[in-house]
Amino acid sequence: MLEIRDLVTAYGKIEALKGVSLDIARGSITCLLGPNGAGKTTLMMTIAGVLKPRRGTVKFQGEAIGGRTPDVIVARGIALVPENRLVFPSMTVLENLLAGGYQRRDDLSADIERLFGRFPRLKERSSQLAGTLSGGEQQMLAVARALMSRPKLLLMDEPSLGLAPLVVEEIFRTVAELHRDGTTIFLVEQNAHMALKVADHFYLMEQGRVSFSGNPGSLAEDEVIRRAYLGA
Amino acid sequence: MDEYAIGVLTNIGLISFLGLSAYVLLISGELSFGQQAFFGIGAYAAGIATAMFAWPLPLAIAIAMAGGATAAALVAWPTLRLRGLYFAMATLAAAEMFRIAFELLHWQVELGGERVGPDGTQGFRGIRWIFERGVEPLGFLALVWLLLLAFVLGIWWMERSRLGATLRAVGADPELARSLGVDVERLKLAIVAASGALAALGGALFAHHNTYIEPRNFDLMLGVHSLAYPLIGGLGTVLGPLLGAALDIGVLEGSRFLQGYRMIVFGGLVALLLIFRPRGLLDENLVHRLKK
Amino acid sequence: MSDFLQNTLDGLAAGASYALLALGFTLIFGVLRRANLSYGPAIMFGAYAAAWTSLNFHVGLGVLFAVMLATTVLAGAYVERLAFAPHRAGSAVAAMVASFALWMQFEEVATLVLPRHLYAFPALYEGGPLPLGALTVRVEALVMIGVAIAICGAVWWLLYRTRFGAAVRAVIDNPIAAGLSGISVPAVSIRIFALASAIGAVAGFLIVTTQEQVTPMLGMWSTLKGLLAMMLGGLGSLPGAVIGGLALGLIEAHSQWYLGPQLRDFLAYFLLFVLLAVRAPWMNTRSAS
Repeated sequence: MLEIRDLVTAYGKIEALKGVSLDIARGSITCLLGPNGAGKTTLMMTIAGVLKPRRGTVKFQGEAIGGRTPDVIVARGIALVPENRLVFPSMTVLENLLAGGYQRRDDLSADIERLFGRFPRLKERSSQLAGTLSGGEQQMLAVARALMSRPKLLLMDEPSLGLAPLVVEEIFRTVAELHRDGTTIFLVEQNAHMALKVADHFYLMEQGRVSFSGNPGSLAEDEVIRRAYLGA
Repeated sequence: MDEYAIGVLTNIGLISFLGLSAYVLLISGELSFGQQAFFGIGAYAAGIATAMFAWPLPLAIAIAMAGGATAAALVAWPTLRLRGLYFAMATLAAAEMFRIAFELLHWQVELGGERVGPDGTQGFRGIRWIFERGVEPLGFLALVWLLLLAFVLGIWWMERSRLGATLRAVGADPELARSLGVDVERLKLAIVAASGALAALGGALFAHHNTYIEPRNFDLMLGVHSLAYPLIGGLGTVLGPLLGAALDIGVLEGSRFLQGYRMIVFGGLVALLLIFRPRGLLDENLVHRLKK
Repeated sequence: MSDFLQNTLDGLAAGASYALLALGFTLIFGVLRRANLSYGPAIMFGAYAAAWTSLNFHVGLGVLFAVMLATTVLAGAYVERLAFAPHRAGSAVAAMVASFALWMQFEEVATLVLPRHLYAFPALYEGGPLPLGALTVRVEALVMIGVAIAICGAVWWLLYRTRFGAAVRAVIDNPIAAGLSGISVPAVSIRIFALASAIGAVAGFLIVTTQEQVTPMLGMWSTLKGLLAMMLGGLGSLPGAVIGGLALGLIEAHSQWYLGPQLRDFLAYFLLFVLLAVRAPWMNTRSAS
């Protein structure tokens, strides 16, 4: 579904992605592991259109989307739950969700009801300003907002970062449900244990390149985690 | 060299001081919409010194530079912690205050049967020190460029020193610099004062070249130009602002054909150039490559 | 007492025009995160186009307004394409200096077409001021205040009652999150630029028909007033822009009465400088530059 070849993204002279190649199969849950600074967030931001690649290709369902603006990427069916949540702080929870469904022309209320069902805490706070929510609530809001566009491919950048264990469980339960319903998921996750439990496939990224690709069972879990956390 | 060419070259030199003053601020990360005020302070101070008190030009220049530095420090000291556009707006407010002060300045003395001195919006005429001493245009040109090159050399030497590296570091990432122990506020204050002195020096020479100055000379449009010169000439080297000034005055005014359309051409040139080279012609990358 | 009321009334009228100018500046700053320093000059350019039309053709105020509106919006689009769109992902300083540079162009073209220092412009209202007890009320002032209220109301409705307005608020709040939600930041920027230019054209038209003249200084003047009002009310805040504009008008009217015109301007700048220096709480100086 998503095909990336030799992707290079740079900040000025510094190349954060030095030629990344990977494939995401339709209907799978793929996990991207790797130490801090490996370029995982840069990769996500490049796919989502926030960053422009310097070289290489990104193809989604056969169409080249590398370098397109973020709104075009959303129109194609990809949504990103970014690292640092990135909610709209001076808009209410409800308005944040409505923003997520901006490109849709149909009635959004059914989706909103469903999301409130999944994240009851958001329903409680629906007319509260998003900037006043706790970290965990903002993360839930960011996930819910991304889901409003009914993406075919959901990108998630460190969805469990800084969250309480119960919230993390809720998020991964949501991920599993979405997967069951047909959404393809590509997530970056520091919490390698949880990720390897749900993922069909994983990639390991180190220093701007993909250094390993495989199934959860193919590498002894310990070695992967060691490499993911320590990069060695 | 004919008089016209001498005039053009002199103007390039004079306006380069203004460009240099904006340059030192830009590389240390500050945007100022107020350099025109220090240019004006230098002009008025030097003019008053020579035309009203008959003091010699070198002393007048020194007073002008001290005045410019002091005024700049006065503006910067309360506003140092402001960032980006906020600092720029504070400098703009200060510059307009100075310009209004020039409009309100009425101070004249009787000299040889005439009234000499600034007369508010009517301006300040009769700054004739260099003409009364028979200084030739070529001689004044040499003076302007000698002073300019002296300061260019000084800035160039400073940039290669530790201070220069620190300045650029502060310009690129002040928080990082602060965490490395740099007293960012003190450094910025010093740089702003230096930029004020530079602009004032240009103003002092400008006043004597023109013999007549008025508050309207020192408005926001002049400040706009002062920013444009380093930004199109290039932020990578101290020669950048000189190149920018030369492009504006030299090519455009020097070419009589384009003279009536100077602002249209220059304005368009700046906007277009910035699209392809947002840090100017001689930007850091180019300079780095040329050095190799 | 009646002097005080009279000055207050005059101050509100002037303040209404400053509020509109500041509103335009703030819309652009909120969405693009940059100050458009060609905002005033584009208005001046539109005013000159209308003045030229008025000098060469016998047309009514409606046509002149249409000319000014169209010219200002086109000039604004020119600035957006040349000075802001190319630097969207780049340097804010480059964008602002580029907008400065285009100011030079507007001013020179205007003065080449109409070289005199001052041109007469048809009046908004031919009659004299209306007496209201001990006060005199100028009809132009009432129109200015009324139009300003209407425009503020329209902008509020646009931002809070339309889908586009929600997108605008989203971009103002967090441009990256807006992009990720599927909002096209470039499309919003272009439209907001046009809206801000239109608001500026309205303000400018009322100003030149009230003053019954056009000068090349209109560009510098409206830029300075707009920036001043925007900063006084807190950079980036739309209600702040309106309040800042009204406050500026009131401060000017009262200080002119006691101090004269030059000190009046001096006081406004001094006030801004002091507010910036002490980092008054509503001025947002602590958030991003």
